[in-house]
Amino acid sequence: MKAMYLVNYFVAGCIASSFLGWIASLHPMATRAIAFLLAAVAVAWVMCWLLDYSLSQLLKISVSQLQALLVSVLAVLLIGLGVFVCT
Amino acid sequence: MHLKMFVLSASAVALWLAPLTALDKKVSWHKAVQGVSLCAGIACAVKAGSIAYKLSEDAEIEVIKERAITADVIDEISVSTYVSQQQRQQEAELMLASPGLDVEAGRKSLEAMYDNDLQDSASTSDNPDYLVYLEVRKSMEESKSATWIIENILKMGGRKFADGKAKLETLLQQFEREQK
Repeated sequence: MKAMYLVNYFVAGCIASSFLGWIASLHPMATRAIAFLLAAVAVAWVMCWLLDYSLSQLLKISVSQLQALLVSVLAVLLIGLGVFVCT
Repeated sequence: MHLKMFVLSASAVALWLAPLTALDKKVSWHKAVQGVSLCAGIACAVKAGSIAYKLSEDAEIEVIKERAITADVIDEISVSTYVSQQQRQQEAELMLASPGLDVEAGRKSLEAMYDNDLQDSASTSDNPDYLVYLEVRKSMEESKSATWIIENILKMGGRKFADGKAKLETLLQQFEREQK
């Protein structure tokens, strides 16, 4: 059941990133805003990789759990935006 | 609860993919439908995730309960074993302390004797020599001589007469002792 819970939140993340793509497709200004948001997320993602030991102590989770979280965030963004762009 | 979770998960995936792939882009309202369906899909997925989280917590609680029940049972068994061991030890100490008042041992020995008697009485009627003994007794009551009994009932005349005499004595001793 824990796997189902993780899968459901993963799907929710994918749909949310598709929703971001949908917002970006509404207006050129929205596209810029979403692009800025994605750039900020990318910077934060890289910073998290660089500061993984400090962040894991701050969040009180193991380093491997933090790395799994970061990989899954990347997968969520890629899958969600990929599905939206390809369709 | 499981069914609700699976239905919500399936509908989340359907609401995510169906409007993006199946909807004709020439239709003017397709953007609005996509947005609404994506919002509904997010809601379904989050709700399904929260239900799955609750179910996983319930399953963990059930596992903990089962472990606690098992531990209780084991504890109860070990306590009862310990208590019975203590009782036996105390009884043994009492018996050692007062050998004159060994009531329990006396009771056990009497029970053992009674059981042996019961077994003997049961085994007497099963013994094949018992029928021969009954015939011998009947003949003796009819004032038949020992020689006649050995020759006609035990069928041990002539050379076997000495053996027959010994067998007759053995039979009489065995069954008369058991009847006493």
